[in-house]
Amino acid sequence: MNPYALFLGCTTPTQVIQYELSSRWVCNKLGIELVDTDDFVCCGINQINLSQEAGLLLAALNLAHAERKGLDILTLCTACTGALAEAIKKLEDQETRDHVNGKLKTIGLEYKGSSRVKHISRVLFEDVGMDRLKREAKRDLSKLQVAPHYGCHYLKPESAFDGFDDPDNPKTLHQLISATGAFPVQYETLSLCCGGKSFPISKEPAWSLIQKKLDNLMHKTIDALVVQCQTCYLMYADQQKVLNEQLGKHYHVPVLLFPQLLGLALGANPNNDLGLDMNGISLNLLLSKAGIKHTI
Amino acid sequence: MNQNKKSKEPIQVSHLDVKFSSEVTSHKEASALNACFSCGTCTAGCSISEVFPEYSPKKLAKMVKLGMRQSVLSSRFIWYCTTCHNCEQHCPQNVKFFNVLNVLKNMAAKEGYAPSPWAEQTRQIMKSGLIFPLNEELAEKRNALSLPPFKSDGAKAKKLITLTGIDKIESGSQQ
Repeated sequence: MNPYALFLGCTTPTQVIQYELSSRWVCNKLGIELVDTDDFVCCGINQINLSQEAGLLLAALNLAHAERKGLDILTLCTACTGALAEAIKKLEDQETRDHVNGKLKTIGLEYKGSSRVKHISRVLFEDVGMDRLKREAKRDLSKLQVAPHYGCHYLKPESAFDGFDDPDNPKTLHQLISATGAFPVQYETLSLCCGGKSFPISKEPAWSLIQKKLDNLMHKTIDALVVQCQTCYLMYADQQKVLNEQLGKHYHVPVLLFPQLLGLALGANPNNDLGLDMNGISLNLLLSKAGIKHTI
Repeated sequence: MNQNKKSKEPIQVSHLDVKFSSEVTSHKEASALNACFSCGTCTAGCSISEVFPEYSPKKLAKMVKLGMRQSVLSSRFIWYCTTCHNCEQHCPQNVKFFNVLNVLKNMAAKEGYAPSPWAEQTRQIMKSGLIFPLNEELAEKRNALSLPPFKSDGAKAKKLITLTGIDKIESGSQQ
């Protein structure tokens, strides 16, 4: 398997460290080589709000660094994935590329367009594959029922993802969950956005969005919501607690990051390897249902 | 813009800027807005409209086409987008409203209406290369988990941001 430059983004390595921890453990276990680098910066997705040029330049800086190392990029955050993939698409236009390279030249970089970007789930899906994931499973998670949540930028804008999965009817995370042995539950609000990108500007619409999904999931028999982005995680886990504490809600929907679920199947130590003890909503019930003798 | 309050009042033709629409569509990313026939597929799919009906991509597009420059650029609603891309997913005219909205936000930012979280993030990126600061406490926490030190290249990010001029953007309040 090809090695990847690990693109951690801003939020995972500072706020949701268990996502990084579990992703590194899973990749190491499966032989996906991750190369750390000191020169990546913010992907630029939020800077697009103030200047599309600034957002594109930051994305191009990251892509140019990966190119220089001769590596493709593996992302954890779906928003970083979307921002970098969309930048690659925009930079196919020669006029745009020339303009960006004019600016990158001032910091000694050039964008050539040779590095690709893949989210960790896509790498697991395409590079490792379902068959091997199923073969590697050490624990029986077949008693677990979990609800998948994809994250908008995992597959959108559609033009940036070369037909990988269908944004209107996505299947890859369902299949990855099945490969762990757990059952991916169908539910009505599957495609609802977590609201994370509007949250810094106005809390109420974002809270309404997550409540809609949590209300739906409270009526389903599930052991956890499984996400593949730290912003989705923060919205559904941390903000769920805020809704309970500040608005008198009574939600109880445990949230797992996909590499944590996969790590459990692959035999990882729940706390030391996957950081399950860092997830705010207790996962003890899920562990006991899966027959894993471990207290978080 | 006051989509929920003033929308009940008639539009004053004298307040319209007839050049606003072409000003917006002169940006390559927003040029497809000319093809919009107001079918509302964007709003039907919009995540924010679903829970906050006062926000409507279709309505914003119409306001741009009518020339409601001041109302659009000073509106707080243009910043509510959660970037889910649903507005463009099924647009029959391939308008890519997400890009149109970005053009509007960029124009609004230049005119002093940028919300403080985005201006703050720009300043933070210029310091650390990231939207969050890196500090000793975090370094110790990561070290305790046997994770490698986390670094970024703030100097190069700063240089690029300075070239775009958004480091000079001051945040302001919207209507």
